[in-house]
Amino acid sequence: MDEPRTTPLHRWHLGQGANMARFGRYDMPLWYPAGARAEHLAVIEAAGIFDTSHMAVIGLQGDGARDLLQRCFTKDLDRCQGRDRGPLTVGRCVYGVFLAADGTVIDDAIVYRLAETAWMVVVNAGMGPAVAGHLERQGGARVRVTDYSDRLGKMDIQGPLAARILARVLHDPGPVLADMVYFSCKGGFDELQTPTPVRLSDGTPLLLSRTGYTGEFGFELFVAGDRIVSLWQTVLAAGEGLGILPCGLAARDSLRTGAVLPLSHQDIGPWRFVNNPWLFALPWGDGGKVFSKDFIGAEALRQDPGNEHTLPFAGFDPRKITVGKDTFVTDLRGDTIGQVLTCATDMAIDRIGAMIVSVATPPAEGRPVDYRPRGLSCGFIKVNRLLAAGDSVLITDGRRQIKVEIRNDIRPHRSARRPITSML
Amino acid sequence: MKELSELDFPETVRYTEDHEWAAVDGEIVRIGVSDYAQDQLGDIVYVEMPEIGDIFEKGDEFGTLESVKAVSEIYMPVGGEVVAVNEALVDTPEMINQDPYGAWIVEIRVTDVGEYDELMSAEDYIEMLRG
Repeated sequence: MDEPRTTPLHRWHLGQGANMARFGRYDMPLWYPAGARAEHLAVIEAAGIFDTSHMAVIGLQGDGARDLLQRCFTKDLDRCQGRDRGPLTVGRCVYGVFLAADGTVIDDAIVYRLAETAWMVVVNAGMGPAVAGHLERQGGARVRVTDYSDRLGKMDIQGPLAARILARVLHDPGPVLADMVYFSCKGGFDELQTPTPVRLSDGTPLLLSRTGYTGEFGFELFVAGDRIVSLWQTVLAAGEGLGILPCGLAARDSLRTGAVLPLSHQDIGPWRFVNNPWLFALPWGDGGKVFSKDFIGAEALRQDPGNEHTLPFAGFDPRKITVGKDTFVTDLRGDTIGQVLTCATDMAIDRIGAMIVSVATPPAEGRPVDYRPRGLSCGFIKVNRLLAAGDSVLITDGRRQIKVEIRNDIRPHRSARRPITSML
Repeated sequence: MKELSELDFPETVRYTEDHEWAAVDGEIVRIGVSDYAQDQLGDIVYVEMPEIGDIFEKGDEFGTLESVKAVSEIYMPVGGEVVAVNEALVDTPEMINQDPYGAWIVEIRVTDVGEYDELMSAEDYIEMLRG
């Protein structure tokens, strides 16, 4: 077995008694002693921090960068921002996908416009060389592609208290945070700079974005590799007494699943990017029927999408099945109709009558006093027919059969988009 | 994850290779999972238990523990008839994490007490975990 890669926080994770596991080539924390359930709930009710230094960051510099991205990335950078669909401005970012010519997914990504001709692409762990290589091969004059994988430190802080905690560690936090709308970025360090500097109280420069992978309010923080351990400890100390917890990959997975966010190479991957809950990643023109630009993979997506559908589901109790080659989806008669892509337990939700209720649901909308949800299994299936929200199917691993319901959405009352003014 | 030295392995019960513990009291045996098992599994969120009256042989699967990470089957350390299940685990499955030797899962009337004597002592179980 080859030596696993580690992030600069690896020693810290071990020192905390984290339960470690391999994720791709990295040895990462699954959970810390508080446990995955407490970590999941902390992100929804207070704040959690995640070591995400294993993610890959690619920089694109030059006049040719925009055209290269327009060719390779699904979002139309000229028509993707705001209600009136304007161009991506400096200090804003957008989620989309990199497709191959056959319409299959290379990786999903967030593209940041750092400056007029400076862009940053954040992709999944281990995908730096593949995506940077893809961009370089697509060529383009006047663009320099740099793979920063394993050179940066990155951490996510997610949860309703994220801004209040960050304010405690930032230099001059007021102006920095006041106007950070959802999917915006500020700050920078080394070669990755936006026009607005952001520093910690100790002077460390950082790049800050209002993004994340939990569906909850929060930020991603990028720093030079030799500053991440100090940043992590500073943020953790600042959140002490407010309920902050370090969170591992188990909580990260259960949070993102409840938020209906895909995991690359599991929920999206080497099949055409059609008939799934994430088609907002495509560049729809006015009318929502045709693409507003051409891009690699567009032609393949314009063909008949076929009958394979990726759909979110939620169960009726915490029971789930372990996804593997023997896991199937059947209809209620027992006929196999597809496979399970993701199955996790969202600890923050439970069913009350016909509704799924979260710990974050306001009492006026149905959350009982002293609500203690058991959790619900949830995830994504890929089946050979279109099913409607409310339809039931069975997911099975051959020994156990669990009835689940197709959903449009899973965990309600998520905080990701809350106006920042209400979170300070 | 805890080191072996940080986990509890009381000598008053016996253990299986699958990390169950068994405690005998006359012809009744109480069954649960070890501190090592709960530490490995992580937060337990659901327990599937058998019905009173169910009869199992040694080694049969008699229930499952649902944790954040996965579903784990639990196996009978000895054969017999289920005479009690721990109803408290329905509402508070996390008791198994908090108190693995107090949070028993089932009680059975053993068919053959000899099967209990065949189980591992704490010392043998710790040896097995080390190896």
